[in-house]
Amino acid sequence: MDTLKLEIVTPEGQIFSGDVKTVTLPGSEGEFGVLPGHASLVSLLQAGVIDIELSSGSHEVVAINWGHAKVDEKSVTILADGAVSIGGGSDSEIANSIETAKKLIESMSDSDVAIATATAKIESISRVGKY
Amino acid sequence: MANLKEIKRKIKSVENTQKTTRAMKLVSTAKLKRAEMAAKQSRVYANKINEVLSEIAYKINQYKIGGIDSRFFEKRSAIQNIDIIFVTADKGLCGGFNVQTIKAVRGLLEEYKEKNVKVRLRAVGKKGVAFFNFQNIELLSSFSGVSSAPTYEKAQNIIREAIDDFISGATDKIILVHNGYKNMISQELKISDIVPVEEPKEIKVESKSLMELEPAEDETILESLMKKYFEYNMYYALIDSLAAEHSARMQAMENATNNASDRVNMLTLAYNKARQESITTELIEIISGVESMK
Repeated sequence: MDTLKLEIVTPEGQIFSGDVKTVTLPGSEGEFGVLPGHASLVSLLQAGVIDIELSSGSHEVVAINWGHAKVDEKSVTILADGAVSIGGGSDSEIANSIETAKKLIESMSDSDVAIATATAKIESISRVGKY
Repeated sequence: MANLKEIKRKIKSVENTQKTTRAMKLVSTAKLKRAEMAAKQSRVYANKINEVLSEIAYKINQYKIGGIDSRFFEKRSAIQNIDIIFVTADKGLCGGFNVQTIKAVRGLLEEYKEKNVKVRLRAVGKKGVAFFNFQNIELLSSFSGVSSAPTYEKAQNIIREAIDDFISGATDKIILVHNGYKNMISQELKISDIVPVEEPKEIKVESKSLMELEPAEDETILESLMKKYFEYNMYYALIDSLAAEHSARMQAMENATNNASDRVNMLTLAYNKARQESITTELIEIISGVESMK
């Protein structure tokens, strides 16, 4: 199975780096998914969540406020202004990171719809308990 | 006896200097840790954004994607005006740190003078400003008080004018010179052309597809990415330079402390010799006095 090399970097450092099966990005024109072999693309990202499907099949979620994504056939590079990885070893850690992620998105986005969509997504992920 | 006193005074003075240099070293070590962290964190982002931009530059030049303001990317055949932005420290006492940057800038000045290219200088940091003022070399703009506490806003201020001039066509190229942090004991001079964006030295992935921009109808995406690229490069140069400054100062002060302790040893030896000499003289005087009384 083909994989994509995904990298998420912020001015505070690297958030994610690794091979993934697919990734869903919050583009400014709407959400879009990227699979290996995607055509080259540079896109603006808005506040929202990045859903990463690892090659093992499990999911990882990263919330960003805004940034740019550069996509080509084999790799995806995301330059985000601020990003919070949602996850952690324990329930309280996860709850904590969800809280920070919500704040991050609220601080950047001025449209209520975007905030609502993003928070709903984060919450649904936390409810399922699998991220 | 006068000699003894004088040596004693000298020892005291050297010891005081040593105290100062040791304290400065400790301060720099503490500051270096913070600056180093900041530089390391931002390095990933700075490298990535440069990589992305250079790939975009390659694609734009390769496929001539229409409608894009390629002024940022195209190679100029004739370069007539250049802006050089250089970063020095606000303070001295850091060995050859500032001198290295200044030398590099002068080297560039001469190199472009031969080619009949007009160079304008933008200086950051008191030391660089002072040097070029003293040499009567004109600085287009100068910023001080920035290099010791860099923030993103300050970096934006510095680079804004340069970029505006580039966009309006007043300059054809912008070069950024700063002395960067390599490791605890060494610095590395970095000279980089910010615009036009350099193409990657090697093409890692040969991709066949054209590059799409999204949202496609306006060019704001490239514009905002370019803006981020300029500002972040400037910001990174500032924090990288700060980390390098502290590491240079730490080393310079370490050397100074060592030299001072060598000097104290030498002076102590001289002092002891002088003391012995005076004791010997006194003894001879007493003995010869006793002998003459016999």
